[in-house]
Amino acid sequence: MSRALDRVGTWVGWAFFADLASALGLTFGYMFSRSVTMQYPDKEKWLPYARYRGHHFLKRDAEGEIKCVACELCARICPCDCIEVVPYEDEKGNRRPAKFEIDTARCLFCGLCEDACPADAIALGQQYEFSSFSSRDLVIGRDDLLLKPGKAASGGGVVAARLDTQKTVLVEANEPRGYNWWRNIRRR
Amino acid sequence: MELVVALGLIAFKVALLIAVLLLLPLPLTWMERKIAGHMQQRMGPMRVGWHGLLQPMADGIKLLTKEDHIPAEADRFLFKLAPILALAPPFVVFVAIPFGETVSVLGAEITLYVSNMNVALLFVFAVIGLEVYGVIFGGWAANSKYALLGSLRTCAQMISYEIPMGFAVIGVVILAQSMSLVDIVRAQADLWNIVYQPIGFFVFFVAGLAEAQRIPFDLAEAEGDLGAGFHTEYSGIRFAFFMVSEYVIMVLVSVLVVILFFGGWNGVLIPLPPLLWFLLKVAFFVYLFMWFRFTFPRYRYDQLMTIGWKVLLPLSLANIIITGIVFS
Ligand code: SF4
Ligand code: SF4
Repeated sequence: MSRALDRVGTWVGWAFFADLASALGLTFGYMFSRSVTMQYPDKEKWLPYARYRGHHFLKRDAEGEIKCVACELCARICPCDCIEVVPYEDEKGNRRPAKFEIDTARCLFCGLCEDACPADAIALGQQYEFSSFSSRDLVIGRDDLLLKPGKAASGGGVVAARLDTQKTVLVEANEPRGYNWWRNIRRR
Repeated sequence: MELVVALGLIAFKVALLIAVLLLLPLPLTWMERKIAGHMQQRMGPMRVGWHGLLQPMADGIKLLTKEDHIPAEADRFLFKLAPILALAPPFVVFVAIPFGETVSVLGAEITLYVSNMNVALLFVFAVIGLEVYGVIFGGWAANSKYALLGSLRTCAQMISYEIPMGFAVIGVVILAQSMSLVDIVRAQADLWNIVYQPIGFFVFFVAGLAEAQRIPFDLAEAEGDLGAGFHTEYSGIRFAFFMVSEYVIMVLVSVLVVILFFGGWNGVLIPLPPLLWFLLKVAFFVYLFMWFRFTFPRYRYDQLMTIGWKVLLPLSLANIIITGIVFS
């Protein structure tokens, strides 16, 4: 009985365009919701989360020595075969990488190298802007990796930014934290 | 002397009308893109000018400087004629459209319409029907299957929807005892026609959507399945002609809805200048058109025909009969 009533109700609703009206209401609501657009790169910029897997970086230990012991485990586990490590023995008799190259053009940022490393020497940091005109520039060596920015302390916000094309294309963020983009958008 | 002044006034009004109508698509495209953007949680144009206000200008300049391409197999004469045929009728129709009663400028009473024909409604429908030639010729002359399919659809669609559209206004004519648009608005001074003619309004509005070829009835240029429909092969300024025509027709249908069913320049409650009332109502319906566009999907072709012949036509006929019985 109630099912029949439901069906009658549905038909009455259709006769008065209840379905169309609810669709119009939905789009109207969205019209006044916050837009998801991030005006990258010259107005806004997104700060990555702490767990974000961006460009790799190599860490130093307390004495300022490179932490990597050139065990080549990262090179082994890498599914893209994009890490190349050549070991040598330094003055103190420690095994260190003479050459440590990551071909970021082939890397898929899975983070396995970070997981595999026994010396906690490599990690994926917060940098995500490293596009280049030549894929050769994407092969990053040991010394450059040591200088790359580390993990983000906080993040997940959108901050005001400025595009600087004087020396190199650089998006400068002027504030440490912005509005939380993910919280702000309307989802259903 | 009198005659010269009258003629000069008419020429001035016509020139003003053409200028306004030609410039109207600029803000309308901006509005449409902004509305589209915000409904889809985007921002729409943001970069050219303040919040993209100058974007239509940039687009216009781009269209003007684009290559004017004519396909090799096209019928060159018809191909060039079609955009003009599509553009002219919507402009001509506005000659018969009243925007208000009179305003006094420098002590002289000036009517806010170019002409007050006693068959204005008939004129409007006759001329608006000509617009379809531009679409049909455009699709035919381009010699492309997408364009041809688009114009074939338009052909069938226009025929199916002009009939209920024409029938829907008969109720209004019965009420006003006149076909002059000015008289029709005057007859609504106390109560708007929408109260007496809800079915008539519904049929007219849906048919108007189809007439303006807007979603959900934009089968002529269904970008999903026909490229861009009848203007697939057009580029540059000829394409712009079609776009201008589309926007002017959208405004025209809104204006007609307001005049026929929503009391024209008669206001309610808030005493605003009549012209402002009129423009506000028209703006609301233009917004409604855009709102529909970004809410509804497109009807399938057979659904379109079903709606036209099996729903709108019987409804409009019933509306005539009921109106005739009640108000005779
Ligand atoms: S993130 Fe994955 S693909 Fe990239 S270097 Fe590390 S292991 Fe290889
Ligand atoms: S980064 Fe870690 S895993 Fe890779 S070679 Fe150095 S110590 Fe071994």
